[in-house]
Amino acid sequence: MTATQQPMAQRFVGESVKRSEDKRILTGTGNYVDDVQLPGMLHAAFLRSPFAHAHITSIDVSAARQVEGVVAVHDGASMQGLLAETAQPPGIFGPAPVKFTLLASDKVRLVGDPVAVVVATSRYIAEDALQLIDVEYDELPPIATVEHALDESRPAIFEDLGSNVVTGPRTNTHGDVDGAFARADRIVTANIKVHRHQNVPMECRGVVADFDTDSQTLTIHGSNQGVGIAKMVLTGQLGMPPDTIRVLCGDIGGSFGLKIGTGREEIATAALSKAIGRPVKWIEDRNEHLAFSGQAREETLDVEAAVTNEGDILGLKVSMIVDTGAYPGMGAMLGGMVENMMPGPYSLEGLEFTFRAVTTNKATYVAYRGPWASETFCRERIVDMVAKELGMEPLEVRRRNIAFQGDNPGKMVTGRTLKSATARESLEKIAELVDLPSFRKRQAEARQQGKHLGIGMATYIEAAPGPRADGGGGLGNEAMRMRLDDDGIVRVFTAQMPHGQSHETTLAQIAAEEFGVPMEMVKVVVGDSDQVPFGFTGGSRSATMAGGAALVNARALREKVLEETANQLEAAVEDLEIVDGKVGVRGVPAKAKALAEIATTATAAGTALEVSQAFDGGQGGWSGGTHCAIVEVDVETGLVDIERYIVVEDCGKLINPAVVDGQVRGGVAQGIGAVLLEKSAYDPDSGQFLAGTFMDYLLPTTTEVPRIETHHLETVPLDPDVNFRGVGEGGMVVSPATLCNAIEDALSPFAVKIEEQHLPPLRILELIGALDD
Amino acid sequence: MKPPAFDYIAAGSLDEALTALAEGGEDAKVLAGGQSLIPLLSLRLAYPSLLVDVNRVDELSTIERTNGTLRIGSMVRHRTAERSKVIADAVPLITAVMPYIGHVAIRSRGTIGGSIAHADPAAELPAVALALDATINVRSAARGERSIAAADFFDGYFTTTIEPDEIVTSIDFPVAAPGTGVAVEEVARRHGDFAMVGAVAAVGPDGTARIALINVAEKPVRATEAEAAFATGASVDDVAAAATRDLDPSGDLHASPAYRKKVAGVCVKRALAKAREGAAK
Amino acid sequence: MNVELTVNGEARSAHDVEPRKTLADFLREDLGLTGTHLGCEHGVCGACTVIVDGDAVRSCLMLAVQANRAEIRTIEGLGTPDDMNPLQESMRDSHAFQCGFCTPGFMMQITALLEENPSPTEDEVRETLSGNICRCTGYESIINGVLKAVGA
Repeated sequence: MTATQQPMAQRFVGESVKRSEDKRILTGTGNYVDDVQLPGMLHAAFLRSPFAHAHITSIDVSAARQVEGVVAVHDGASMQGLLAETAQPPGIFGPAPVKFTLLASDKVRLVGDPVAVVVATSRYIAEDALQLIDVEYDELPPIATVEHALDESRPAIFEDLGSNVVTGPRTNTHGDVDGAFARADRIVTANIKVHRHQNVPMECRGVVADFDTDSQTLTIHGSNQGVGIAKMVLTGQLGMPPDTIRVLCGDIGGSFGLKIGTGREEIATAALSKAIGRPVKWIEDRNEHLAFSGQAREETLDVEAAVTNEGDILGLKVSMIVDTGAYPGMGAMLGGMVENMMPGPYSLEGLEFTFRAVTTNKATYVAYRGPWASETFCRERIVDMVAKELGMEPLEVRRRNIAFQGDNPGKMVTGRTLKSATARESLEKIAELVDLPSFRKRQAEARQQGKHLGIGMATYIEAAPGPRADGGGGLGNEAMRMRLDDDGIVRVFTAQMPHGQSHETTLAQIAAEEFGVPMEMVKVVVGDSDQVPFGFTGGSRSATMAGGAALVNARALREKVLEETANQLEAAVEDLEIVDGKVGVRGVPAKAKALAEIATTATAAGTALEVSQAFDGGQGGWSGGTHCAIVEVDVETGLVDIERYIVVEDCGKLINPAVVDGQVRGGVAQGIGAVLLEKSAYDPDSGQFLAGTFMDYLLPTTTEVPRIETHHLETVPLDPDVNFRGVGEGGMVVSPATLCNAIEDALSPFAVKIEEQHLPPLRILELIGALDD
Repeated sequence: MKPPAFDYIAAGSLDEALTALAEGGEDAKVLAGGQSLIPLLSLRLAYPSLLVDVNRVDELSTIERTNGTLRIGSMVRHRTAERSKVIADAVPLITAVMPYIGHVAIRSRGTIGGSIAHADPAAELPAVALALDATINVRSAARGERSIAAADFFDGYFTTTIEPDEIVTSIDFPVAAPGTGVAVEEVARRHGDFAMVGAVAAVGPDGTARIALINVAEKPVRATEAEAAFATGASVDDVAAAATRDLDPSGDLHASPAYRKKVAGVCVKRALAKAREGAAK
Repeated sequence: MNVELTVNGEARSAHDVEPRKTLADFLREDLGLTGTHLGCEHGVCGACTVIVDGDAVRSCLMLAVQANRAEIRTIEGLGTPDDMNPLQESMRDSHAFQCGFCTPGFMMQITALLEENPSPTEDEVRETLSGNICRCTGYESIINGVLKAVGA
């Protein structure tokens, strides 16, 4: 044993440590935003447009003001007066590039657009008052589809934009596209359509804004993925100095990317509290949520694949158009993300990528778990189409095209190194688990009996956080503070804002192990803009960035504490050890001091036992994997049953295996939902929203999601210290392609080419021609 | 999503309920299980002036078999019906559809009478009542009791021939002959959802069938031509064709008219096959 | 109207309860029992599930006034953070939940299920829980928790 080694450090990383969150989650003692009840608190409700596109010609709130219990009513114009003069129309990550008022005042741009707000002593009364607000609308031709958006005879949703094309067309070329297409034996084409669907966390959006008139300070109880972001937005919108706003988030009932931004209603509620001088609560209801909170994924990709007769995919030409909805969100940013990831782990020689984004009268395009996912869907569907055309197994086409590793890892034609990508390994593991030849036999026999089984697989890589480029740079920084407090507790102040990811447990696992104390002596502090550094949860960054920050800070804090202890005990640092929350000289356990005592003594002497190191991602690395599904399609009803679903994934070292499995399975369930059940449907003529309740927007339940087998490769350490990589989004990124590949395989006797992602029973019967007579 | 205001009375007896309903006028509504009505209130799609709550009217909760008739009180909860051996023995088709009605928690409160009075063509019990030629007993304060044959009861989407001042008190079902096989075949997006389309069937020991279709029209449809074809020994495909030939279903987000028409035939085929199997046992 | 009922074994009451107030809102606001959650307010998601007179019920589909003289059990009645009941412990062992918003509804539906059927099969568990929606887990960990609780 060397002088600096500690005896039998307790191992937490890699164990499915029980969650600290569960003590309150399982007992109903969590603190979600709707649980916040403050003295004198009022309730807000928003009046929303029933039309997709219309001018507001008049609005009369006078009758609403008369209702007993109503404290305030504002329309779009008067709400603007409550905001700072310098307030800009809010976009998703900063000011929006077009002009609009916080509540719609001159025109409404989608069904659900808020036009007025009532504040009353109860939500019940507020909703009563809404019905007394008189609004006159002058309907405009709706922009209900991409075709409408491209039709220059239709009016622009934003006059200052001039048209409904937000971006593009712009084309980028990577590698040797002309060469790839010249050498091709054939071109395989497809028009891939991903449908509009959405995050739908079980908790809708909401906020309690509490403005204190005496101190002129605002406390926000929110449900957001980053308290610092919410604070930043509100300082700008309300014109209040940053040190007068505090944002608190307690427990959050899911988000999947939705709650990264601060909604217009949340800003309005804060402004109302400031104007009234009382706390105001706004809780979004499910109808508002489905219609307005945000939607994603409505993308169409026209693809040409340059292919050899042996199955090499030499190059791709892709033309993508995204329907970003009304009001700026992240839709316009999608092009770059999808383009950069399009090659995936394949050795493509050339990629030409054209991108356009249009605005329509639909809910704003928001980040939804793996926003770039259409690149995987598109690519993995093309691989299967190529295989089909060439009469090859899709597995073989994948084997042929996945870039090699070894000493000279490939590079994506869009520039990023494929170093650490284990797509080939995960593919081979799936092949091992599935026994393709015997499935094909069973499939053939089943077809004789009129049963239609199918198998599909899909592979992906994900920049969670992605490998550091040769020459460094590119992973960003994660801030964190860590402190040994006088009570002997190690407090971890993280910018992460967990909403199901179990950070309070996983970050404590890392910190406890590295510092050398039991888990109970570590507390992860989240959700207070007065206490935590700036940052957010998103992009599957927390495992690497926050996990790494926890590791380096715990190490630094341990050093600092041991140095302080060495001073206090007049011992040598090398002779000290931390065991069971006490620190002392090795071999003299009776004289060991509680960490609380060391801390208290240090504080009295003016020494803070605190560290604050940003982590830059280390060497980073790819996450990724391969999924495989076996399905049965009932060709008389169009219903799909998933017989088996297997995941092989690689996110490096697992911090908490049970947490990882939960993330993977939850993502796959959302993919099942996307393909079989979920659609944010709009009427293509009127722009009327058709999926405003859970009877029309269908989420998968226990009878639609099978057991999902998970296998973890935990490979390729790149970094000496931090090899945790993100896993939150992968399941959702690759599962739709996996399922669509399987369904198309099941339907091969019908010679169906599936180019879309949404395959409800009606669609399947249409595709196989069962409804033709 | 909060309900609008309404007056409310928790009736302690049937007479009290009937009087309150009559005095409440056109916009007074009966509150039974509430599983269909309360969502409408929360979505502000309904604005009753008065709710007459009949959940404490015990006389509406009995199940009685007398000779060839099973009388089920209108306030018998789905969950009670689901577990009832009396019902399973007398009218097995009811027992067969129960697991398809929503989910467990819905069935804790929802009632047999409520479902039938709500008359959703996508629901199972109206189709069962029609298939079995049930009789719906209703009462009003002014005119007393009357009975309506199922064939005359369902009048359109969520519409029946009940008068505004009448309450459904019970439903009479003919007891199934021993050796009757029953089946439900419905196609729903998920387990427990309303059927996109479906069929209920009872095949008697005498080789005759009773078939009714779910969600193919504005009310449940009795497939009389299909029943006739079945009785003459026609092939299953011909029976299914007879059932769907004259259908003109409407479309919605989940199913098109063509889908409903086609898959109704599949449901009839499969239901008959299962019912026949059950009859043969 | 007056509402007098028993919640988690304790007599509770309130006056001036509007007939239109849902049982869910009554529990949360009037009685301060915010463990029961609202996920949809139209009876589909199951997050609001409580036990009324022994049966699992969606509290958003009941009026508070209908619960007069009823015995209600909510998630707060199962156990406390430092003294969880065996079902809660099994769910914790199995990492059943993630964000926790659907959890109260699941816990009460499972409690009702196990009181009626102490040894359900996996199929029976899936069938019973098909009326509760979770967006985070894909359900497998929840089902594992239930099976663990019954010793399967």
